[in-house]
Amino acid sequence: MELGTGPGRVRIACSGCTDVVAAGAPTSYFRIGGTVSDRVVIGLEVFSLLDRAFGFSLGDTSTTAETATATVVVLWFPSRRGFFFKGGVGLAAGQFTVPGTAGADTSNGGGIGLTYGIGWDFAISRKFAITTNFAAYVTAVGDVVLPGRRVDDVIATMYQGAIGFTFR
Amino acid sequence: MTAALLALLVAVQFDSAPKPRTVMAIGQVALINTFVNRVDALVFKQDWARSGTRVWGEHLRLGWEWDEDAFTTNMFAHPYHGGLYFNAARANGIGFFQAVPYAIMGSWTWEYFGEKYRPSLNDWYMTSFGGITLGEVFHRVTATIRDNQATGRGRTLRELAALPLDPIGSLNRLVRGQWRARGVNPPEHDPGPYMFRIGAGARFAKGLLADSGVTSIGAVLVDLLYGDPFATEYRSPFDQFGVRLMLSTNGGFSSLRASGRIYGANLNNPTRRARHVLAVNTRYDYFKNRAQSVGGQSVEIGINSRWPIGSRGYAFRTSVFVDGVLLGAIDASGTGLGTRTYDFGPGGGARWEFAFDRHGARFVRVFGQLEYIHAVSGASADHIVDFSGIEANIPITRGLGIAAHSTIFHRTSRYSTAPKDERNYPEARLLLVWTKAGGFKP
Repeated sequence: MELGTGPGRVRIACSGCTDVVAAGAPTSYFRIGGTVSDRVVIGLEVFSLLDRAFGFSLGDTSTTAETATATVVVLWFPSRRGFFFKGGVGLAAGQFTVPGTAGADTSNGGGIGLTYGIGWDFAISRKFAITTNFAAYVTAVGDVVLPGRRVDDVIATMYQGAIGFTFR
Repeated sequence: MTAALLALLVAVQFDSAPKPRTVMAIGQVALINTFVNRVDALVFKQDWARSGTRVWGEHLRLGWEWDEDAFTTNMFAHPYHGGLYFNAARANGIGFFQAVPYAIMGSWTWEYFGEKYRPSLNDWYMTSFGGITLGEVFHRVTATIRDNQATGRGRTLRELAALPLDPIGSLNRLVRGQWRARGVNPPEHDPGPYMFRIGAGARFAKGLLADSGVTSIGAVLVDLLYGDPFATEYRSPFDQFGVRLMLSTNGGFSSLRASGRIYGANLNNPTRRARHVLAVNTRYDYFKNRAQSVGGQSVEIGINSRWPIGSRGYAFRTSVFVDGVLLGAIDASGTGLGTRTYDFGPGGGARWEFAFDRHGARFVRVFGQLEYIHAVSGASADHIVDFSGIEANIPITRGLGIAAHSTIFHRTSRYSTAPKDERNYPEARLLLVWTKAGGFKP
């Protein structure tokens, strides 16, 4: 079982868009699983990113962007030194909220999520390790419909560098 | 660059140690991408293949998008291409699970560096996951076609027959002199129990050629069962799989389904007469005709059961599976922003089957499947696809028989900005079939 947090960056692309929107945001994750061999761990990972000052256009920081993935992940340790590769596929959800004239307007979407990356387990004891993670999370959550605008076929790609605590 | 890579690969090729050739496999994946790109750029003068460092930088900056390619390109050609990456690893002694990253990375590098179009997320999914399923099916089917004990013209014909399904494996064998050398066959050569059935006849369907009315077209149907969930204890991924291919005189390639076991376990004592086994499968689906276009990559988990009847090899079988669609595609009216006529999305569903078989060859089969696809690219829509049918195979002589199939495809699509779309497509088939089966225990 492992949980961690760290800074991330989200990049949002869409169909018909000639450019992408990018912003920094905090991320967190929780991973639980078990070993299937001495070098392979299979588990479930939940990842989330929250940006309260996101903007779909230049100068706009009024949107709250929340994205999350739940993926089945495989961690492969090529050696016993703690370095590992990670890959996983599953589901994703995204929510974008902007302040409107009569409260907040929210657009929700669900779709596909996948993740890949690398990490390093620094064993502190037999039962505890500190883990560094560098990972990408790709989520496709469909159309985002907000007042006055529609963003088609949104794909949000998030990059994360995080420190986690692993309990065995 | 292609020539240099080729020279390196030929040099390393003659390292005939039995251990997995990782460098060779990585090199061949790179060679596939380089070769396809250079042929398209230099021979076919395709502008999209003229990528370079400026394009690569742009792709890394902008990231993924959905593409607008034709259904057949995305749902068959890309998985087939992914099979080349996967089999570059398998042909170099790398195991099934270890070969998975080769398909994923081969596709990723092509998407980012192989063409001028922005990286396509749907291509990455279809090439990677479709390539794993089709790649392993092709790897094992061609292992049964090739025979390292055979000699002469028959041996050459076998090698040539395997070439279109596993070109990378065939080229590796050619360079290593294995098209002629005699040796032991790999374990995949012998599937144990198997059933191969090929039929030719006619399809009768409403809406196949026009919007209304029943029409008939010629069809060829191929069924292959490699291994058997009950007779073949789980040892390695795809030691048991099934494939169905249908070709039609109108439209050619109509359907392809492949489902292979990546994990299995006995749920009761294997010595019991009635058997129940758990299976986790990866599944590839492709259905395309004038009435329906649907496909995708799935992972399914379920239970296969078999109850023997009497002592002459008859049995009653059931299968019940639930699945998650990693990424599916389905035709949808008014979809997409460009020329694409279908949606992409994840989903889930279930399928069931009851069948009577004798020595593993099913002669009556009743089945159903329900799938839900939530579109994340294309129309803002939710699709429900329901496919069910009954199939009977009546033996005439030893091996030969007549098959009568009746199926119905039903779909309901709910759009956020358009009226609900509901369609039925009943279809019947009458085929003359030839069946060859072996290795099944009574």
